[in-house]
Amino acid sequence: MIQKKICMLGSFSVGKTSLVRRFVTSLFDEKYHTTIGVKVDKKIVKANGQDVTLVLWDIHGEDVYQKMRMSYLRGMSGYLLVADGTRRQTLDDALSLNERVVQEFGRIPALLLLNKYDLTDQWEIDSSQGAKLAAAGWNVFNTSAKTGDAVEGAFLQLAQATLDK
Amino acid sequence: MPPASIFESFFATQGFALFEFLGEGEFRLIGTWPAWCRAMWGDLPTGQETVRIGDASPFLENFLFDAEQFWASKSSGSVNSGNWTERDSAGREIPLEASAYLLEGKRLIVVRNLSETFDQQQELFQTARDSLLVYEKLLREIQKKEILLHCIVHDLTQPLSAMNSVFHLLEREQLPAQLKKHVKTGERESQRQELMIRGILEAFSSDLAAQNSAKESAGDAPDLAACAQRAVREFSTAFRDHDVRLRFDSRAKKSTDWRVTGDDARLDRIFGNLLENAMRYSHKDTTVTVGVEDQGAFILAFVDDEGPGLPKDQPESQLFALFSKGKSHSGKAGLGLYFCKITVERWGGTIGAETRAQGGSRFWFRLPRAEKGSRKSETPAPEKHSPAEHAKKEKPARRLRILVADDADINRELLIELLEKRGHIAIGAKDGREAVAELEKHDFDVLLVDEEMPHMTGLQATRAIRERETGTTRHQIIIGISGHVTEEDEQRFRDGGMDAILAKPVHMQKLYEIVESTTAHVGGSRAVQAAQVAPATRPIESSAAPNTAPTSSAAGDSVAYLERSTGGNKKLMASLVAILFADAPKALARIGRAIAQNNSAEVAAAAHLLKGSLAIFGASKAVESARSLEAMGKTANLREAALEFQALETEFTNLRMQLASLAPKQKSTKHSETKTGRKTKPAAKSRKR
Repeated sequence: MIQKKICMLGSFSVGKTSLVRRFVTSLFDEKYHTTIGVKVDKKIVKANGQDVTLVLWDIHGEDVYQKMRMSYLRGMSGYLLVADGTRRQTLDDALSLNERVVQEFGRIPALLLLNKYDLTDQWEIDSSQGAKLAAAGWNVFNTSAKTGDAVEGAFLQLAQATLDK
Repeated sequence: MPPASIFESFFATQGFALFEFLGEGEFRLIGTWPAWCRAMWGDLPTGQETVRIGDASPFLENFLFDAEQFWASKSSGSVNSGNWTERDSAGREIPLEASAYLLEGKRLIVVRNLSETFDQQQELFQTARDSLLVYEKLLREIQKKEILLHCIVHDLTQPLSAMNSVFHLLEREQLPAQLKKHVKTGERESQRQELMIRGILEAFSSDLAAQNSAKESAGDAPDLAACAQRAVREFSTAFRDHDVRLRFDSRAKKSTDWRVTGDDARLDRIFGNLLENAMRYSHKDTTVTVGVEDQGAFILAFVDDEGPGLPKDQPESQLFALFSKGKSHSGKAGLGLYFCKITVERWGGTIGAETRAQGGSRFWFRLPRAEKGSRKSETPAPEKHSPAEHAKKEKPARRLRILVADDADINRELLIELLEKRGHIAIGAKDGREAVAELEKHDFDVLLVDEEMPHMTGLQATRAIRERETGTTRHQIIIGISGHVTEEDEQRFRDGGMDAILAKPVHMQKLYEIVESTTAHVGGSRAVQAAQVAPATRPIESSAAPNTAPTSSAAGDSVAYLERSTGGNKKLMASLVAILFADAPKALARIGRAIAQNNSAEVAAAAHLLKGSLAIFGASKAVESARSLEAMGKTANLREAALEFQALETEFTNLRMQLASLAPKQKSTKHSETKTGRKTKPAAKSRKR
């Protein structure tokens, strides 16, 4: 069976682990559990009419305590860049992380997820920013690991993109 | 599989699995196959000597690349994989860690189950990150409040700006003398109100800076009696218009040292707020008395009125609370007394109000006396003027020779025109190098120098000038001009040897204040004792009130904004608009070309020039777009430049429509020439004056 390594990238507490959990087990936990290191999960999806095993690398968010090792990304087929829509800074951090990734690995399939879309009353990313991101070539998804909105769609679209590449 | 030694069994019980690398992804298990490995990766095939651990675990497969590199390097020590978590067959998350070693020529990998210690580590990180989240949230809350405050101040200032413009227009009309007097009063009061609102913003947004700005030593400390007398002078007309007498209590002895901890500008505002309050509640033909009293370690200032006294049902403490207003709603937003309270308390003083026994009310504040011992001389200090007083004078004390160095024609033009209008002599230079060369040939009282210029920046020019002064008694007054003045910038300018900073966009009054007060500090002489004006001890005079940046959010405000910046000089306004219309389209084309060519440096340079030009017209959105483009250029990140460029073009189109009525009529045969010698159409190579 085809296997595709997919990495989850972004600052701490943006919801990477929750997105994976929602996608793999359809569950969600309100409490924030920080990730140390890497969590590896798998899920089989159908793409282009065939079964594909997505090996999901949920990589800890960068902060002053933990820096991400670029070696974790070796061999990835695509990645989901995740930002927390209620924390504007996490989008800047994600974009800056993306620059490092592109510099190291070149352009590979990626989607930008603005997560926590269930908290739109606290949203800090305005529509003009969304337009700018789209203009810059980003495929942006407003996701909610809590409600499940757009989560499966994002993973499937990325799986498709890794096959199309 | 060989039988396990006691050592190997112990190793396994401690959560370790040890493998020797045989090459081609094959490993030999040393010792026993731990239960946790079995739970994750299943049983080892019977009778098989080797295991492919990379096939069992994607993480280990990835780590093998690092391990093989390490073994190939023949280094001592080890290489570590970092933590990772995998699920076992029961769905439990098992935290793991792997290390590679090279021991006695054997290539080893140790995989360790961290379940025993992981919870502690997890808890530590969890606490740290939870704290970071709380901290971030707190910061965001503070920022939101600051933004709200800025919005409030902006909303309060906007109508006042419009009122100022209306008064300004009325002043030009042929009005009866009495009416003219009322218009003047209205204009003065609305300008004062605008200053006060900005003052409140300063007080709120830079609490600490305000605290630090208080002068505690007697040498620099404000004279409370002099402040009170000044307030009486400034308010006397307004009180007269209300038929209320305003007097200074003559019992204050001239021989007493009335200096207190505080600063002049804020004390003026405190007296202003208390007097406005008294005027509001005073009936016709009554008297308001301002005075000071010596109370030993403290000095008391008071404002007595003969009005109705304090409201009986309102506690005194509530009078000074934020947004508190009297029941009659005679007051404004309820900010004035609150400002007085936080400022006085910041200086270690107290403030209060009471109903007087003989009727009316007394508002008072008490401030600590300034510390003695640092008095510079026993001879009476020469009369000091606040910067505002300098600027208020119709004509400056003396005509100054000023060199203006700015690479943007439009900024240079504006500064030269404003300075000449004031009666000074101003000469232009296009960059720092020209400015330094000009100073070698001629004497100038002041050098006004832009921070960012090609060939030689303002700071580089300042350093060159200061180096030349070393060992002499000369000190060239240098005022830096910058579009963005933070505390860090101030420090940078100070360290670089500048005497003062002027924030862009430059406002006429602020320009006069800083240029004239800075030269007044050195007694009107360029050649002064170095010690008197040593840069390290001289205060930086900044015009950087938080909202001196363009405050208009739409191009619709640009005409009023320009009128204010230029003092309503129509000819100058037309000249500036002509320059903008000639230069901005070219700058836009330059930016567009540079984006297409992915030329970051060119984007930054062109956007910088355009930003300075747009700021003069208060076109904040356009300025913001130009600033973003400049930043993108400087960081060589043009990913979003095309989009920002589009926004900039749209904003410029709006601005152009707004300013169209001010543009001079184009002549078909001859192009007009501005005072700085640059042709407005077609663009010609500009020459300095």
